[in-house]
Formats: sequence, structure tokens, C-alpha cells
Amino acid sequence: MKIIKSLLVGASLALVASITQAASSGNTLASVDPEADRLAMQSFFQKRFPQVPLDDYVNGIYSLDAGSREQWEEIEEFPPYEFDIEEGEILFNTAFANGKSYAGCFANAGIGIRQNFPRWDESQGKIVTLELAINQCREANGEKKLGWKKGKIAQISAYMAYTSRDNVFDVQIPNDEAKAAYLDGKQSFYTRRGQLNMSCANCHIAGANILIRADLPGPTLGHVTHFPVFRSKWGELGTLQRRYGGCQKNVRGVPQKTQGEKFRNLEFFQTYMSNGLVVNGPGARK
Amino acid sequence: MRKSIIKHALLGLVLVGASTMTLASADQIAKGKALYLNKKAGNCIACHMIPDPDAKLPGNQGPPLVAMKARFPDPKVLRAQIWDPTVKNPTTIMPPFGKHWILSEDDIDAIVAYLYQY
Amino acid sequence: MKKTISLVAALMMISGVVAAHPFNEAFNEQRAMYGKGHSFTWDGQTYITDHPEEVAAAAEANAANATKLLASAKAKYAEVMAVDFGWTLTKNLLKSSNKALEAGDFRKSMNISAQAEYHSRMGIAQYHQSQTEWIMAVPE
Repeated sequence: MKIIKSLLVGASLALVASITQAASSGNTLASVDPEADRLAMQSFFQKRFPQVPLDDYVNGIYSLDAGSREQWEEIEEFPPYEFDIEEGEILFNTAFANGKSYAGCFANAGIGIRQNFPRWDESQGKIVTLELAINQCREANGEKKLGWKKGKIAQISAYMAYTSRDNVFDVQIPNDEAKAAYLDGKQSFYTRRGQLNMSCANCHIAGANILIRADLPGPTLGHVTHFPVFRSKWGELGTLQRRYGGCQKNVRGVPQKTQGEKFRNLEFFQTYMSNGLVVNGPGARK
Repeated sequence: MRKSIIKHALLGLVLVGASTMTLASADQIAKGKALYLNKKAGNCIACHMIPDPDAKLPGNQGPPLVAMKARFPDPKVLRAQIWDPTVKNPTTIMPPFGKHWILSEDDIDAIVAYLYQY
Repeated sequence: MKKTISLVAALMMISGVVAAHPFNEAFNEQRAMYGKGHSFTWDGQTYITDHPEEVAAAAEANAANATKLLASAKAKYAEVMAVDFGWTLTKNLLKSSNKALEAGDFRKSMNISAQAEYHSRMGIAQYHQSQTEWIMAVPE
């Protein structure tokens, strides 16, 4: 009886301890500190995988697992996304019916700017991802929107990432509204969804590089740098938000809306976490 | 209403008698094993190694399922762990198989019976 | 000083989380150990470890009851979708329930509706939990 009692006390103390440290750590607009979050994320992974240089996280799971890295490096010798980059370049440079083109919608004519997306757009009062900016550019020029997940939009995004390779991610949080969007994305990342009750963090922080049957989930640090990706399972190129929807379905949750506010904020948070790492998209994944 | 409560209570006694309280039947163990391996059912093998030669290439998100009787002398505690592991570990990756009705209660009993072989 | 404040906050959170649904916790604990149909005492009263949805599905199997349960399960699904926490299998359960209803298999339809409604209730609970519990998973 005494043992049970002290066990219970122990359990309740443990509960107090875990909640105490959480209660003071950034779940409100007043207390959230994105830079502290980013450094905590880096230090989490560096403590766990001390042999992996920070810069190498852009290679996802292949930075952690030597076995699959070898196969992947062979794939990258003749990259499966090469055709998509070429197609993307053609699409990017093809004039709209009104004679204008994508270059007119972006800073630096759209070359080498991937690292600045997603970005807080002051006039729209929301986070704009690169894919959203591509479609907004089309609509502003009287063209129809492209589908969000694959095909042309992924090819254009791939080309724009390709022209930005080795540029350092530099997502900015200029004001409290942007910070609120960041916090919303952060909450989404750690929120359990679906019948299987899993969050992004379950697999891509705590579960990173640990087998789920034959699959090794990648670390979230460096997760976004190589998107869009040519995924062998898809047999084609797809955007980051296509993968978001797939993940949510995998945990048996009805996926949230592609390029809706929740996913844009999630992408904003996730990309901010990878600030300081370089663009290396598009990439090839299993 | 009262009648139905009594009926439920009686039914309950019968069910408890037939589930984890008694020795598991070979059928129940076989069913538990099938659920353990089936990707669309328990899929326990995705995360747990078990020393059953048929359980090939397991994942390792969770601990190996060995010495189950020593670790869970009370099968009800093991059952509760499968039903909702977040009670003991709020940040676990393991799904709450009972609480979210991923498996039926009979399925969970069968898995407990199977795990208890190891 | 800081310690005292955070301890108070923690205690408030605990009481908020635990005291909000003490019966549900007792119910889940019993259901987790014993499965369906187990009786237990809570606060001086005897209860059975059957979900309310299962109790409703145990009513007489007829067209009226099956229709009522399916409508209720559909309404609950709309509710969980409104907070964006729906589960993927529920829609198919609703379809199967409808099919069984049309085929005159009322018992089957009622049982499937029970599961569908339960799923949606849990999705809504997951939504509410997500508002407070997510921070526990953030690496510090």
C-alpha cells in the first residue's frame, strides 16, 4: 500500500514537472520566442545525433542513415526530377496571354528567391507560400489557377528552388500578426490528429530515424529545404503540402485544406525552423 | 431502464468470464497474432519486435515485446496499455487502440493473449 | 517566486484537465482493463463500461431506431468536421450503415452507426485536448 502511495506521488510529481516546464515555454503570443524555438530544435537534434553536421540536415533522413544514403546518392547521380526542372524553366519563361510572365510577379525576376518563402504578406494579411504566389501571379495576369499538389505548379516551384540552391533560408517574422501565424503553425506541428492520434512531432522529432516497419521518418530539421520532391512512391514530383495531406491521411485524419490557412502557417513554422540551412530543392525521396 | 442495466451487468459478468480472466484459447492466440501482423489491423509489428519467427522485419519505435508476464503480471494492466497508452505516457507515438476504437474489444483481448505467449 | 507561480499554474492545469471529466477518466480506466459490459461503482452509483453509443445501439432493432441512430451519427460527423478533426474511416462507416439500413439489416446498421458516432465524439475530444496538450511535446 505504501509502495503504491509513493508510486502515485512519484507519478503526480512527474506530471507536475512536465507540465511546469511546458507552461512557461511558448504556447501564447506573449511567450512564444521563434528564435529560441529554432535553436532548441537544432540543439535537440545535435544532442541526439552528435556526429551529424548541422548543414547536412538538408539531406533529410539521408543525413542520419548511412545505409539509405548510399542508395539515394546513386539515385541523385541521374536525378529523377531533372526533366521537371527543365519543364519548370520552360513554363516559368512562357509568356501569359497578356504578354507578361512570372518574372514580373517576383523580386529579382523570380530567380534565387526560394529561401524567402513562405513570407508574411502585409497587404493580404496572411502567409504566402511560393506555390500560392505562383497561382496569385497567374490570376493577376488573367490565367487560371494551377492544381496545388503536382504537375505544373510543382515543376515551376522546382525550377525556382533550383535557381536558389545554396541560398540560405531566411524566413522573417516582421510583426505580431506574423508571429501569431507562426504560433498557429507551431501548434499544428505538435497537435495529434486522426484516429491514430499522431502529430508531426511524433514521427519527425521523437521518432526520427527510428524504424516504422521498414521506413525511417526523417528529422523535421531540414525537412522543407529539398521540396518539391520527386517521390518514388508517387512516381512523380509533388509539393510539400501534398505531403502534408498524405501524412494526415496516413494517421487516418481527414486532411486539412491544401494551401488553406492551417497548412500555410504550418509551412511557415516548419520553414522557420530550418532558417540557416540552404535550399537544395528539388530533391529525390523514397 | 433498470432492467437494461441489470441485463448489461449480467452480460458483463459473462464477457469478463470469457475474456482475459480465463486461459486463452489457441484460436484467440492465432487471432491475436494475425492482428499483430496485419497492416490494416493492429500492425503492432510496425513498431515492436516480438520473438515470434513469423514476425519478420519489425520496426523499433516501441520497446521489444519480451518477458510480458514478468513486465505485466496483471494482464488487465497490459490490456489498458494497449487501450490507451497516453495515460501513462502523454507524448507516446502509440495509438490508443481501444479509446479510438481502432480495434474491437475482442481484438484487444486476442492481442493480449498473443503477447502473453512471449 | 517564479517556481511558486509555475507550480500554481501547473496545479491549475492539472485540476483543469483532470477535474473536467473525472467520470470519463474512471469510465475509460475501467473499459481499458475490462472491455465492454463490465460494471463498476463511481461516486456511489453503478455503471456499465458500455459507450453511450453502444447502449443506444442495443435498443430494439427496427427501421425507426436505425434511421434515428444514423441521423445522429451524421450530425456528429458534421460537428467534428466543423472543427476540422474528422477521421478518415467515418465516412465509409456512415455509408455502410446506410447500406445495411436500406437492406433491412437494422442491427448491423445500428452497430455501425454507434462506431461512427463514437469516432466523431472522440475527434471532437481530440480537438479540445489539442488546444492545451500540444505544448508537452515541444523540445525545450
